[in-house]
This record gives sequence, C-alpha cells and structure tokens, in this order.
Amino acid sequence: MAITGLGPHGERASAPERVLLLPEDMARARASGFRVAVVLHTMASDWAKQQLSGIVGTLGNCGIAVIEVVDCAFTPDVQIEALDRLIGEAPDAIISLPVANSKVAAAHARVAAAGIKLVLLDNVPTGLLPGKDYFSLVSADNFGLGKIAAEGLSPHVPRGAEVGVLGYDADFFATNEREIAFVKWMQVNRPDVNLRIRRFSTLADAGLTTHALLAERPDLAGLFVVWDTPAIAAIEVLRALDRLIPMVTADLGRDAAIALAAHEPLVAIAAQQPFRQGETAASIVVSTLLGRLPPAWIALPGLAVTSANVVECFQTVWRMPAPREVLQKLSLVRTTT
Amino acid sequence: MARMASVEADIRPRRKGRPSVAETAAPSLVDILNLVRTNRATTRQEIERQSELGRAVVADRLGTLAELGLVDESELGTATGGRAPRLVRFAADRGRILVATLDQTALGVGIADLAGSLLMEHHEASELTQPVPALAERLVTLFRWILERQANPPLYGISISVPGAVPDGGEVFFQRTTPAVLPGWDSFPLVETLAAAFDAPVWLRSSVETMTMGELHAGAGEGNRTMLFVKVGKRIGAGLASNGELFRGAQGAVGLIGSVPVTAGERSGTLEAMAGSDHIAQEGRLAAERGLSAVLADHLRRGGPVTALEVAQAAQMGDAAAIDILSQSGRLIGQVVATLANMLNPELIVLSGSIAQTNDILLASTREAIYGACHPLVSRDLQIVRSQMGSSSGLVGAAIVAAEGLFAPSLLRDWIMAGRPQAHPLFQQLKAQIVDRRTFEGNAVRPPDM
Repeated sequence: MAITGLGPHGERASAPERVLLLPEDMARARASGFRVAVVLHTMASDWAKQQLSGIVGTLGNCGIAVIEVVDCAFTPDVQIEALDRLIGEAPDAIISLPVANSKVAAAHARVAAAGIKLVLLDNVPTGLLPGKDYFSLVSADNFGLGKIAAEGLSPHVPRGAEVGVLGYDADFFATNEREIAFVKWMQVNRPDVNLRIRRFSTLADAGLTTHALLAERPDLAGLFVVWDTPAIAAIEVLRALDRLIPMVTADLGRDAAIALAAHEPLVAIAAQQPFRQGETAASIVVSTLLGRLPPAWIALPGLAVTSANVVECFQTVWRMPAPREVLQKLSLVRTTT
Repeated sequence: MARMASVEADIRPRRKGRPSVAETAAPSLVDILNLVRTNRATTRQEIERQSELGRAVVADRLGTLAELGLVDESELGTATGGRAPRLVRFAADRGRILVATLDQTALGVGIADLAGSLLMEHHEASELTQPVPALAERLVTLFRWILERQANPPLYGISISVPGAVPDGGEVFFQRTTPAVLPGWDSFPLVETLAAAFDAPVWLRSSVETMTMGELHAGAGEGNRTMLFVKVGKRIGAGLASNGELFRGAQGAVGLIGSVPVTAGERSGTLEAMAGSDHIAQEGRLAAERGLSAVLADHLRRGGPVTALEVAQAAQMGDAAAIDILSQSGRLIGQVVATLANMLNPELIVLSGSIAQTNDILLASTREAIYGACHPLVSRDLQIVRSQMGSSSGLVGAAIVAAEGLFAPSLLRDWIMAGRPQAHPLFQQLKAQIVDRRTFEGNAVRPPDM
C-alpha cells in the first residue's frame, strides 16, 4: 500500500527496503563490536514489546549488543534523565521514542551533540532536524492510518450522521497525523457527516471525554479514537450506557482485535506493524553505524483490518496466533474452553 | 515606498498643536523594543547606552512595553560586581504567527512564536493545480486546527511561502491585495480571505526567499550576515541575504538562476533543464536501460521508478554511472553559482533540496566548481554546506518574514501603542474594504467552519 502522509518536516517517505541489510553489512557490523541503547515511552503495551523484539532481534543478528532498554513510563523527566545518563555510557547509537515535544527536545539534541547516533521512533520534537540532530525517523504512515479508519467507518454511518473524533491533546506527530487525516477524508468524501472533535489529555480522561461527548450529543452515530487503549476505555463507557455505536481506531491490540471480531462496536482498525518497525529501526542503526546516510523518514504502511481478515492480520502484526476469543467469535474453533 | 507613504498620509488625519504622548513615545518605544528583540541590548544600562535615551525615559518606556506584554524583566543576569542586573527580554510568547508553505505537490502549515521559533508543524500532499478556493479552504481548515491546539497567545500575523516570485517592491508591509503569483490567484482573494477569517495581517514571499530566511536564522546560516542560498530541485533558484536581510530586488524576483543558459559537451540548455532533478532522473533511466548502471538497472527490474532520489542513492552506494550524472549536475550548478559568488562575496553558500541534502557527490562537485572558478579573495573563507532543514526552512523563514515585518519601525510605530498589530490603520482599512466588497458581492467567499 502506498504511503499517503509526509514526514514531520515534509519529507517524502522512503520504504523500509532502503535500509535492507546484506550479508556483508552484517559481517562488517559483527566485526565492529557496536553498542546500542533503546529508550521507549513504555514497555507495558504489546506494541512496545513487539517493536522491542524487532529491534533487539535484528541487532542480535548483526552482533550488536543492546546495553540498556529504558521504560520512560510516558514521563518526559524520566526520559531526559535516561538520555543524560546514557550519554555518559557513550553507546554508538541510541534508538529513542520521544515522549513529548519541546520538553525533551534539548535532551535529544545533547545525544547528537555528544556524537552518539540518534534514530527516532514515531515522533520528532519540533526543532530537531534530520542529518543534524538525528539520523532518521521510522514511523507508521500515520496519515494513512487515519484515512484507513475513516474509510472503514464511512459505510457504517448514515447520511447526515453525527460522528465523534476522540483525539489526543498532546503535540505528538503520530496522533496529530491520524486525526488530521481522518477529518480530511470525512470532509472530502462524506461532507454530509458532522464531526464532533474532542481531545483527552491523559489515558485516564479518555472514558470521561467519551462520556461527556455522548451526554452532549445523544445522537452520536459513530466514533473514531486515535489509538486502541483509549478506544477500549471508550468501549467500556458505550457498554455501560448501552450505546454500542460503530467505532474505528488505530492499532490492533488484543482487546481491540476481540471487539473487532465481534463486529461490535469496532467495525474497522488501521493497524501498525510494530515488529517490522522495530526491525527497520535496527536496520537504520546498522546502516548509519556503517557510515551510510539513511533517509530522513522511513514509513511503514498501515493495514486495513476488519472482522473478515482480523485473524491473518493479527498473525502478521504480532507474529503469534490470534487470541482464542477472536477465533471463537469467528467460529474458527469448535470448543468454547 | 512612495506609494505607501501617500497611502499613510491619506489615512492619518492632519494633527495640530502639541503632539500627544502617544506620538512622542512611539519612536522611542519602537527603538527600545527592537534593541531588545534583536538581542542588541539585554539590560537597562545597555539600552540607555545604545538608544542614547535617559534613564527615566528608558524606565518609562520599558514600563509601557511590559504593560503591553512585549518585554519581560523577571530574569536576573550575571553580576559583574554589585547587584545582578535585571535582564530585559523580548516576550516572544506574546503572540503567534501562522505559517504555511505552498509547494507544487505539498502543503505545509505551522505556528511560530514572535521570534520565529516553530512550535508545531504539519505537512501533507497537495496539488497546487487544484482550484484556488479548494486550496484556500484546506489552508483555513488546517490553520483552524492548529489554533485550536495552540489557542492561548493572540494571533499577530500570517505568512505564506509560495512557489513563485511575489511582485511587491521590497517593502515590509503586509499584503493588502492578492498578487497574481499563480494562475487563478487574480480571481480569488486569498489574502483577503485569510485576513478576514483570522483577523490578522498576511505576508507572502517566494519559497526560495522564505527558505533563505529560515536557513539564515535557524539553519546553517545562523550567525552569518551574507549568505547565498541555492535550492536544487526540478527548478533551481537562489536567495540572497545581505547584511542579515533578504535582498528582494526591484520586483521580488531575485535568484531565478534556473534560466541561465549552460553548456555541457555538445549540449546546451538552461541550468534547470541541464542539471535539475528532472534531468538527473532522465539520465538515470537512460543509464539503467543501457546497462551502464547496475544499481539502477536492478531497481528498474524490480519495478521501482527511477527518480532523482534513486539516482542519488545509487551514487551514494558507489554506482559509477550515477556518480557521473550527479557530478555533471554539480559542476554546472557550481559554474553558475561561482559567477554569483564572485559578484556578491558571500560568507556562506547553502545548497538545499532533497538531492543536495541526501547526497555528498552533488555537494562535492558543486564545491569543486565554485572553488575552482572563484577569485582567491572570494574563496578564501567561503564555506559551502548543505542545508539540514528540509521543508521546515520555508516555515521558519515565513515566520521570520512576518516577525521582521511586524516589528519594522515603519509598521510598528502605528500599532505599538494599541499593543496589537490589528490596530494598524492600514489593516483596519483593509478590513473595511473586505466588508464593503462582501456587501457588494453578496458574501461569496466564506470558507466553511471545521
């Protein structure tokens, strides 16, 4: 699938194949004894774990030691402290997912200034520039994810319907792009639909925001939530109110896959490919350490998932069988144990 | 400028008798604010020295500026014996500037503070050939979206980077009509639409001008006064910063070097046609088809398109044919730029555009040609580097254009006492004209709310 979005500075997307590693690259990397650290926003989600296993596995294939993996727990101060400490460790490269924008920009700039090669995941703090402050960003085609979600919801909402958009009230590249793309697709292709945009600032607020929106718009006929964890919180609210309206989201988490298999209330999901993204980030690091200039932005296309293909997509994304509840809902297993 | 002066004379009532306090205070307020804003003075003592104003006047004016929210004196500096001086800082957070870059195939939007620092940006694919009303509607939608997210400080201005020369003779004032920069613009009031929708003055500059300003203030050009900026893409253009300011020429059409005729071997044509990205891509495809480039032939066999970026990537991987293609382009660009360098004696030449930014060979051969053809005095300390700002330079530069315009003494003196640029009489006049036209045309132009 083609990449529909542009990078954080307007870059055209490059395909992951641009940093494909050949056997001779791996041999050279193995002979060099490189050390790499990984700084993630969280380690609690399936998404983060899959991405990490893609990173660590690929680096392992190239004989590169992962010296530390930091869980920032979505907290800028933790990330700043970790980056400053890692600068002292002087690894050859750091892979980081910036948890905020301006707050963590200076700490990331210090990494580059210390001569450590920086590769970013998912987000670029405003003001940091590729080639100067970091080497490359790898992310999903988040604009494409928003578009896939809109296309998935459209057939399920009647003409003139009220549709809610639950965005994330933080300046974060990935969620901004999804929201903009969803709204744009609807405005272009479904001008009859009235969009009601609300944003939550913490995960804990996602349910409350949904509740407030439903109280304000009892006629709401569809809902888009920018990623799956708040979407699950929204589903709980909908269930409690007995108002299961069609919903779409991004990321094929376990609970989201189950709700999608039931076709209620989730009708479509735009899925990222975290394992492949992790592999790609590691390949960028290896290419960079071998002295090649990587593209400023590498994007992975999203997958359009519905109940019809949720099983195979789950396997593609997570490299493991779909949850038993999914298989049961789709009558792919006979026993109910 | 003469035209501008007569307009100003028209709208200002003739005053008699003693000048008002506002009139006498405004010039010194303007001077002091600009000393602080450009970091030429950071303490009261420095302001007194540089402005040649007395202590009481400086204290009074700083009090006014603080009330207007334009300076901040809460920070202490380093003591050099005795009490630490209070630092006088420009309050860049007092207002916001909406910025956009319109490109042949992309639309970028962002928001910046009054010092031109970008706080947020977004880019999306967009065809410039779409009808202007649709483009304006998208711009308004995205601007509204950004303002929703960054609503607090008031909007001071809007600045747009456009892919063509803006025919406006070197003035700092905002646009009061929509110039016919692109086809269709003469029949759609883009500037008026934005000014009316957001109640803020609008600046327009060509993309090479905004990129030059962005590079000078936030990129490779930081700290330089004389810089030549060269953008290499499908089109090749140049921008000049002279004494820290953008040089705009007589018609705002500086640096159209893509149309300079050049010769390579037996072929001749314009620089754009002989060295631009279309030429690089075409030569790359030929090399692939003729089996001269193993890397590009392999790429073609796998069904991938051969664009200038693929040629640049192949060259980076050591493909001899691709290296030849980029070296040839670099040499031609270098020859033309060397002529400019000999004339202008810049401190720095910045090469921009996706090929120049991702490829060392184009930069190396351009450098070689420039150094080879420059007078020893010109090349002695001349630096030639690649840009690292990408499309952000256009957004940052657009913000700088608006900030420089807002705080230019000729504009600032007529709004500073009101504390907001919307109070400027020329902007009020523009708004009145827009209302009149709407009444006349039956409110035809109204972008929808998001």
